[in-house]
Amino acid sequence: MIAGRGRQRIRPPRRGLHGDEIDFESTWDIIQAAFREIHTKNASRLSYEELYRHAYRIVLKKKGEDLYKKVKEFEKQWLSGEVRSSIQLLLSPNLLADAQSVGGTTANERRVAGEKFLKGLKQAWGDHQVCMSMLADVLMYMDRVYCQDHRVPSIYTTAMVLFRDEILHSRTSAKDSRPLLDLLSHVILEQIQMERDGDVIDKHLIKSCVHMLDGLHADDLESENQRLYNVSFEQDYLNTSRVFYRGEAESMLRESDAGEYCRRARKRIHEEEDRCRATLLESTTPKIQKVVEEELIQNRIKELVEMESGVRFMIDNDRLDELNLIYDLNARVDTKKSEVTRAIQKRIVELGTEVNNDAIAASQAAPPPAPAADGGDKPKGQAQEKSLNLQTAAAIKWVEDVLVLKDKFDKVWRDSFQSDNLLQTAMTRSFADFINSATFPRSSEYISLFIDENMKKGIKGKTETEIDIMLEKAIILLRYVQDKDLFERYYKKHLCRRLLMNKSISNEVEKQMISKMKMELGNNFTMKLEAMFKDMTVSEELTSGFKKHVEGLGDRDPHRIELAINVLTSMTWPMDTIGGPGDNDEDRRPKCNFPPAVEKIKRGFEKYYSEKHSGRQLTWLPNMGTADVKAVFPRVLQKDGSFKERRHELNVSTYAMVILLLFNELPAGQHITFEEIQAQTNIPHSDLVRNLQSLAVAPKTRILVKEPMSKEIRPTDMFFFNEGFRAGFIRIKVGVVSSGNKVESDRERRETEKKNDDSRSHVVEAAIVRIMKQRKELGHQHLVSETISQLNGKFKPEVSLIKKRIEKLIEREYLERVEGGEISSYRYLA
Amino acid sequence: MADNKETEYVTLVSSDDFEFKILRSAACIAGTIKKALDPQSGFRETTQNRVVLSTINGVVLEKVCEYLYYNQKHAESKDVPDMEIEPQLCLELLIAADYLDV
Repeated sequence: MIAGRGRQRIRPPRRGLHGDEIDFESTWDIIQAAFREIHTKNASRLSYEELYRHAYRIVLKKKGEDLYKKVKEFEKQWLSGEVRSSIQLLLSPNLLADAQSVGGTTANERRVAGEKFLKGLKQAWGDHQVCMSMLADVLMYMDRVYCQDHRVPSIYTTAMVLFRDEILHSRTSAKDSRPLLDLLSHVILEQIQMERDGDVIDKHLIKSCVHMLDGLHADDLESENQRLYNVSFEQDYLNTSRVFYRGEAESMLRESDAGEYCRRARKRIHEEEDRCRATLLESTTPKIQKVVEEELIQNRIKELVEMESGVRFMIDNDRLDELNLIYDLNARVDTKKSEVTRAIQKRIVELGTEVNNDAIAASQAAPPPAPAADGGDKPKGQAQEKSLNLQTAAAIKWVEDVLVLKDKFDKVWRDSFQSDNLLQTAMTRSFADFINSATFPRSSEYISLFIDENMKKGIKGKTETEIDIMLEKAIILLRYVQDKDLFERYYKKHLCRRLLMNKSISNEVEKQMISKMKMELGNNFTMKLEAMFKDMTVSEELTSGFKKHVEGLGDRDPHRIELAINVLTSMTWPMDTIGGPGDNDEDRRPKCNFPPAVEKIKRGFEKYYSEKHSGRQLTWLPNMGTADVKAVFPRVLQKDGSFKERRHELNVSTYAMVILLLFNELPAGQHITFEEIQAQTNIPHSDLVRNLQSLAVAPKTRILVKEPMSKEIRPTDMFFFNEGFRAGFIRIKVGVVSSGNKVESDRERRETEKKNDDSRSHVVEAAIVRIMKQRKELGHQHLVSETISQLNGKFKPEVSLIKKRIEKLIEREYLERVEGGEISSYRYLA
Repeated sequence: MADNKETEYVTLVSSDDFEFKILRSAACIAGTIKKALDPQSGFRETTQNRVVLSTINGVVLEKVCEYLYYNQKHAESKDVPDMEIEPQLCLELLIAADYLDV
């Protein structure tokens, strides 16, 4: 039959069904009855195909709109009738009372009531969803044809909207006009609050309710940000959380220390994360995190860091875990970690300044008590000596303290701050700050002293790795020092003393140190230091060469004096330190008169040297040398009753040797006055005083006897050979006052600084000329900044210095001002 | 309610009582049949694994089944050969397709 009809009329198919008359009302009745069955969960008795066919027919009959309206009506009635009343039954008075005012019921009752309500709602929602999906299946044809053609939302969506309007937006009860939705939010929030307070709640239940809210939209457009969850619940949640955490932060700050605070804050953050995962929606995670972070960290971090038990306390007590926590928290809200950084920097500078002040105090407090304690009868020189020793100790202590500090913060940085780069730079800057602080100008000197001390004593008996660590530490400190040229000056000076006096324990280590500095500071820095080493080696060769040369002469003099010599290039060695002729005080230092025996060999060497290197001039520096003198003391009755000749080998300075040789020609019992000695030897006054002091005053090495006996050396003093001298050892070292590397006295320091400033001026000028030669013409600002950047590796020149040097260069016609330019600029004059 | 026995084959019954046993996966290509057999909803069709289609006669249903298999077979291939449909079946097939949501 159907086939026949198809052949008769080839027309749009729907018209072809006109023949089957269907009564809309009766069909609807069938459908309605079926829907009721579905809602009461009796679907298995229904035939889908049959219902579908009915709906299909109705739509084909162009009654889609009627059907749609009927279904909507039906659902509305169902929801407002059956479902709403069943939910209202769940609202226990407890719950409603709570919604109005807190208190009156126990938390447990409230929880149970809340759970009951949520369960009911979830059940209703679940049922509604299942039924509606079945209805939608049955009405699929309507959805497909009617809804799409007429641009109305599908029946399923409409039903969901109905649920929202009829259930969630319905009044809670006859008396209570607030919509159920508010109650729902309130109950969920309350449940979450209970969980925060440690109760166990049915997370799953809440999650389903949240999903319901997420599935519904506040308006009919279904836009993403109009979900009921976002609109009605999430904001509430965030607000209450904010209030809660603000309160908690306050009470926690009041009640617990910073470490505890951090621990709890972190726990809260994790809890919220878990809550979003298990109870709410993941999409809330970032928002709630932000709230918690803002309330617990951002607004509190400053207080937290500055708390009594804050960062400072943690650093002082090595609370690495807590530091790590606080770092973590800070990192959450601030990628720069500025608060923690600031606290750390502050603490470093504080501790560093403390170390600085300790050092200053140790070096300054020392002198006054010393004379007082000794009743003032010790000579001033010795007291000064003592204070210098103290200062040296203070210097070394300073370096060690700084290193300890550095180790400490390195550990903190490594263990607590996850080796954060930003923090490292901040810490480095802080270290540099206090090491270079204006109130503490001695860091360069102290570091050099520290190395000196270690080279002389510290590395004895240490393994190679230990030495390496020590050197590395020194380098680390050096890295912080800004005035590297000043350091170089000191280092050169100290190195020079070490080399000339053979104080250094291991040449290897010295070389290692220099190569380390080379790596750190570049070739320029160590060039001169290396030259010093080279001089030493060349000198050794010269000495042995000369020895052979003398032997070759066949001069078998039994009293022949052996000569070891160090030839130093005047450019590389710090002449001011070793007392050589400076640039402008060429003839200030009078030539020392050597005794004939010594003079002879000296001339011999000069001859030998000029044969090898013509055109070089040798300047003798007797103040730096030492001599071994074999002395024979006559038989004198000793205190212990012995009565024999004693031989001692005296290791004395060159000057002392010259003085002692004077007594060789003196008959026993005769004396020489100070003035006579000075006249005969031509030794500079201060050196002479010092040498005589060590020969005649120092108790252990009193080879001469002074008349009158006092600590001071006066020009009128008379000196005798001490025939009764005795000592426990054959070899005696006669120390000369102030020959080691000590902290400089103030006067010396001023001198060093002045010299340093002078040499800086030259360096700055050289840099300016270099730049201008290249650029020919340059603005003032550019020139200054470029000069600074060029010299950065050595020191930080002051702008005023640069200006002054530019003026000088203009005076000397290296540069000229460019006329007519808007900004002042300079031109290089070739 | 011994439902949810998801058999591999389901039965489609035409208006003139022809029964077609076809693969469930193939049958579910048709939206209406899929919904009818949806185990979630629990209609009678689900429990019986049997769908009575009283608007479609045997000849058309046979063609529909053929098409369902044809669709499944070529679901992922390209250059699918045309399926042969007799002109006199066209209209009814269209109606059936509309009804079944294929």
